[in-house]
Amino acid sequence: MATPRKRVWVMVFIVLFIVFETVAYVSTTPRPTEQFFQLYVLGANRLAADYYPNDDPNIGVGDAVPWYLGVSNFMGSVQLVALRVKLGNQTIQPPNDQNATSSQAPVVMELQRVLQDNETWEFPFVWRILNATSAGGVTRILGLMVNNQTYPLVGVEARDGYDFRFIIELWTWSVDSNAFQFGWYAGPEQRVAWLQVWFNATAVP
Amino acid sequence: MWRSGRRLDDCQLAPVPRPLILLPAVVLLLIAFRAATVSSQAQGQLPPGFGQALVAVRGAEAAGATPAEVAPLVSLLNNALQLNREAQAGNRTQLEVQVSNQLASVQSQAGQLEGVASQRTFMDDVISYLAGGVGALVATVACAYLFSFWRRYRVKRTFQMRIYRK
Repeated sequence: MATPRKRVWVMVFIVLFIVFETVAYVSTTPRPTEQFFQLYVLGANRLAADYYPNDDPNIGVGDAVPWYLGVSNFMGSVQLVALRVKLGNQTIQPPNDQNATSSQAPVVMELQRVLQDNETWEFPFVWRILNATSAGGVTRILGLMVNNQTYPLVGVEARDGYDFRFIIELWTWSVDSNAFQFGWYAGPEQRVAWLQVWFNATAVP
Repeated sequence: MWRSGRRLDDCQLAPVPRPLILLPAVVLLLIAFRAATVSSQAQGQLPPGFGQALVAVRGAEAAGATPAEVAPLVSLLNNALQLNREAQAGNRTQLEVQVSNQLASVQSQAGQLEGVASQRTFMDDVISYLAGGVGALVATVACAYLFSFWRRYRVKRTFQMRIYRK
């Protein structure tokens, strides 16, 4: 039969065992973290400034506008992301954060990339208006050059060349639906990330 | 009194030539085709099998593969995306074969990595929990020794006491 002192030491062992196993459980179980993406656009000097040449938002045909686009993945896993760059005007609907719908503006280009967890993908986005016309108070942009690639456009116009805007949307690959979805799911909640940068094209002949 | 059959003949519409009936359908088809073409040009298609390769890489990651181990697979996936873009621009057949081979390679490597990583994670867990048990035992023994030393010290101090008259 165990003496009272032995019983005390057995109790001490049990308490220490529980404490040590709790520490082992905590150290081996990954902590739940907030799942999100970061999307940003920077100006010519990689700052949130100097978005237009000479700080003039009025962009002429052929003017090079250097930006930097970036996406950071904090989803805790490898993700396939797509950046859809759209060109719209003042009247076109931007993406809706509440019901997570994307903008109906025409897509200029799409860039895809697989990102590791905690990885940031930043790349230069140098664009210029290649071709535009102005008639009857309506300015139409007919072609853009982005990173030395030409993108023809149809149906992008603004009154007197005011208030064009780039809309940059973040889309992610959904394994469940086997398709790209606007934004991402953090648990049951759908979240979206998008940016817009306005400019004018009033100097179009 | 007029016959119902005769009345119907009066109201009958003039026959429309068959090509005219088909015209709206053709226009609708053309519009739909145009919309689909614009959409596919604007939004690049993923190569077949890309989704499975991505799922395989995620599986390896979830099994406990380190970022350094996953990085080469992610690099291969990005390379496959780049080749797919080039394939869509031209030289289709040769590049599509390359993309397909690369994705198969990613899936295979990810499967192997998942096996290795899950085994390593399991062993790490077992070692952690065993270390917890061993740690508890060592701590208990250490406590017992400390308690024993402390008791001996107290006994020794008691016997070293001297009584002085005040």
